[in-house]
Amino acid sequence: MIRRIWVLTRYLSRRGLLSLNGLLYLIGTLLFWFFFFPPQQGTPNIANYMLLIGVFGAVMAFLLTLTLATQANRAVNYPLLVRLPSRVEYLTAVLLSALFITLLLQGLVALLALYNGPAFSLRLLELPPFWLALNVLAIVLALHASDFVTDGWSRVYVYGTLAVLIVSQNGSSLIGQWVAGQLNSFSRYLIRQNMLPAGNRAAELANWIQGSGGDGLSNMLGIIFWPFQATLDAIIQGGFNAVQALAPAVLLLYATILFMLAADLFATKDIEFVE
Amino acid sequence: MIEITQVTKLYYDLAALDNVSLTIPHGEVVGLLGPNGAGKTTLMKIVAGLLQPTRGHIRPSGQVWPSIGYKPERLLYPNHLRVRDYLLMTAGLSNLSGKRAEAAVDHALQQVQLNPHARKRIRQCSKGMRQRLGLAQVLIGRPALLLLDEPSSGLDLEGQQDILNTIRQIQASGRTIILSSHQLQEVTDICTYLIILNEGRVLYQDYMSEALAIRPHTIIHSDKDLTPMRDLLLRVTPHLTLEGNKLILEEEAMALRRQLMVILLNSDYDILRVDQKRTTLAELYKRVVA
Repeated sequence: MIRRIWVLTRYLSRRGLLSLNGLLYLIGTLLFWFFFFPPQQGTPNIANYMLLIGVFGAVMAFLLTLTLATQANRAVNYPLLVRLPSRVEYLTAVLLSALFITLLLQGLVALLALYNGPAFSLRLLELPPFWLALNVLAIVLALHASDFVTDGWSRVYVYGTLAVLIVSQNGSSLIGQWVAGQLNSFSRYLIRQNMLPAGNRAAELANWIQGSGGDGLSNMLGIIFWPFQATLDAIIQGGFNAVQALAPAVLLLYATILFMLAADLFATKDIEFVE
Repeated sequence: MIEITQVTKLYYDLAALDNVSLTIPHGEVVGLLGPNGAGKTTLMKIVAGLLQPTRGHIRPSGQVWPSIGYKPERLLYPNHLRVRDYLLMTAGLSNLSGKRAEAAVDHALQQVQLNPHARKRIRQCSKGMRQRLGLAQVLIGRPALLLLDEPSSGLDLEGQQDILNTIRQIQASGRTIILSSHQLQEVTDICTYLIILNEGRVLYQDYMSEALAIRPHTIIHSDKDLTPMRDLLLRVTPHLTLEGNKLILEEEAMALRRQLMVILLNSDYDILRVDQKRTTLAELYKRVVA
C-alpha cells in the first residue's frame, strides 16, 4: 500500500510541478515574497513572519489541491486507478502530493523571508506543527471543494455546515433572541388553546435562551473554532502555552475527520474521469 | 470468476444496463458484442470497479476480488512520460520494484513488440504504438482479469494480427480476458465465450463453440437460378431460402435434402456442390440483435 501511494504521489507531484500550473504557482510564491517581505525593507517581526507564511501555506495548499484534484480527475488515470485495491490510496496520494508541493513553496518563501527577516530562535521550532496542521486542513477542505471526491453535494454539506457554524458563532445572541421570540409566540398560542403546562414550559425555555442559554450556545460553538483563535493568540503573545500547543493537534483531528468523510464519498463515487 | 446478478445501471432515467445477470467464467476469453450504446463499456467499468451498480451486485466467485488490468477504449496516457517510465510506474502499482519491475516491463515491451520505442515520450507515439502500450500496461503484474475495450480498433491488418497474437499468448497463460469489440472476425478468432448485449440487456451468452454450433445449415448450389422452383420447394418445407442459384436449408429441413435434390434433378437442374455450414458469428449476431 505504501509503495503504491508513494508511486502515485511521485507521479502527481511531478505532474503538478513540471507543468504550466507549477510555474504559475512558483511565480505566485516569488511575488508573495516580494510584496509581503520586501528584501530591501526587511520584516524582522517573527509573529508577522509566522502568520503571513502560515496563511500563505493554507491558501497555496487549497489552490494546489484544486489543481492536483483536477489533474487526478483525468481519463489518463483510469488504468492506474483500476490497479489499486482501494481508492483511498489514490486520495491519499493527492493529499500528499499537494502537501509536498505546498511545503516546497512555503519552505522557499520562508527561506527567502529570512533575508533581512527575523533572527533564528527557538520560536522557529513552533512553525512546523502549526503550518503543517493548517496546510493539511486546507488540503482536505479543498478536496471537498473539488469535483474529484464527489459530484457536488459534499461541497454543500461541508461548506454549508461551516457557514452555519461561523454565522451561529458570530450571531448567536441575535439567533438566540429570534428563537426566544418564536418560543414566546408559541407559548402564547398554547396558553390561548388552554394548554397551560406546555405553554409555561415554552415560556421558561424562551426565558432561558434569552438569559444564559444564548451564551452557552455561543461558548459551545466557540470550542469548534478554538484552535484558530488559540493559534492566533499564541502567535501574537509570542509563544504557545501548554493548552494552546494542542491547537495544531485539534486542527489535524478536524482534517482527519474530513478526510475520512472524503474517503467515504470517493469510495462509492462513479468514476467518470474527464477526457 | 465473477458473478453479476441483476445489475442495473441508471444514468438519470436512462438504463445503460437493465437487470443484467452474467457469469464470467475463469480462464476464458469473453467477447462482449453489441451495437454502440449497448452497455459494453458500462459493464466493463462496473467490473473494473469504476462505476457502482444502481441495483444488483457483482462479486467474485472466490473470496478475493481478482487483480485487474484495464485498457480503456480511448488511448489516453500521460503524454509527458516516456513509454518505459509509464510502464515502470504501472509495475510499482502492482507492488513490483527494482529488478522485478524492470524484468516485468522488459517482458511486456517484448510481448507487444514495443522495445524499440521504450525511450520515446508517449506524446510521440503513433496510434498503433499507443494500442500496444495499452496492452503492455495491462500485462504488467500478471493481473488475473484483463479488461480490453476495443484493443485493436484503428489498427492496420498487421497491427490487428499482432494484438490478436498477444491476446492468444495471454490466454494460453490461463488468465481471464473480457474483450469488447465491434470486429466479429476478431471475436470469432480468439474468444471462447460470447456475450451479446443490446440496449442494456443481455441477449445471448454461451460458450463460443456452442454459439457457432447452433442452427447449422446446408447450401445446395445449382447451375441455374432457382426462383422458378420456389413454390414447389416451399410446398415440401417452409424452412428454406432461395438466393439466386443457392438453396439454403435450415436445420429443420436438413432431413429433407435428398428429397429436395431429387425434385431439382427431375426439374432439369444440376447440383454443382453441397456445402454443410455452421452459423457464422455475423449471422448469430444479426439474428440476436435484430
